Amino acid sequence: MSEWQRKSPLEWQTYVNKEVKVTAAEKHEYKGWVLTIDPVSANVVLVKLMEDGKVCVSVILGHAVQKVEIVNEGDDEMKEQLVHLFMPEESKAYGHEELEKRKSSLKTWLETNHIPVTEQGESQRTLCVAGVLTIDPPYGPEDCSSSNEIILSRVQSLIQGHLATQL
Amino acid sequence: FQTPTPPSVSVIRLPRGPDGTSRGFDPNSPRYQALSPISISTMGCGNEADLEREQQARVALRERYLRSLFAMVGHTIHFTMYERVNVSAFFDASDIDILNFQVSDLQTPLGVHREALLRCSDIISYTFEL
Repeated sequence: MSEWQRKSPLEWQTYVNKEVKVTAAEKHEYKGWVLTIDPVSANVVLVKLMEDGKVCVSVILGHAVQKVEIVNEGDDEMKEQLVHLFMPEESKAYGHEELEKRKSSLKTWLETNHIPVTEQGESQRTLCVAGVLTIDPPYGPEDCSSSNEIILSRVQSLIQGHLATQL
Repeated sequence: FQTPTPPSVSVIRLPRGPDGTSRGFDPNSPRYQALSPISISTMGCGNEADLEREQQARVALRERYLRSLFAMVGHTIHFTMYERVNVSAFFDASDIDILNFQVSDLQTPLGVHREALLRCSDIISYTFEL
């Protein structure tokens, strides 16, 4: 096990969000911003933000790392960008009134399309369609749950159509 | 000018190992024990607050790494291996200890392997673009 692999998680964490130069086996060198260091393998994940908005990710395997030098301490802006990289899209926060409006609007739309829908759950937040599909707040296509694929896809496209008319 | 796609090659199976059941790789062999990294590195004895901080660090680091693995799925990854070998493939999955990567359509100088397992100990680095 190399020296790099023997470091502790707290030591590895000191490199995160900083720009480093990594020297690896067979004289390979890499430079980039440290997104993370895997505590299991000590793999170093470096990120380079390109001008065209693309992101180039290079990962050096922990066992191949010979030297890691910090070349730039980085700033809060960089840190913010790295925090959101690879994270799933965060759901927007809707206010209580807004959610009620969305729920009623969707319920009316479904009823207009002759689809039986009821409200259930604590505080009646969940819509239940035909007893086999539920829709949770914020009532988007991704918020549907059902074990029936056909009904799921039909209701999802209905909701998508409905949301499109709302904009 | 486009280089023609290399033909598919069949996977060469290794002969059975000395114990008669393996294909040349035994996770209990002394060689593997010596080469495989110890998966938990820790400060050992320390006060509770320090151990808690260390665990928080481990969690944050690992979560980011796992998300980076998710982001790789379905993308073409370029692998730099030892002995100046470079290959590329679609990333499918990794095992929990990051010892092997499952890939498909592995492009090698000898041809294309539809499915393959890459040993992480053979890889120096891998890169991809998002």
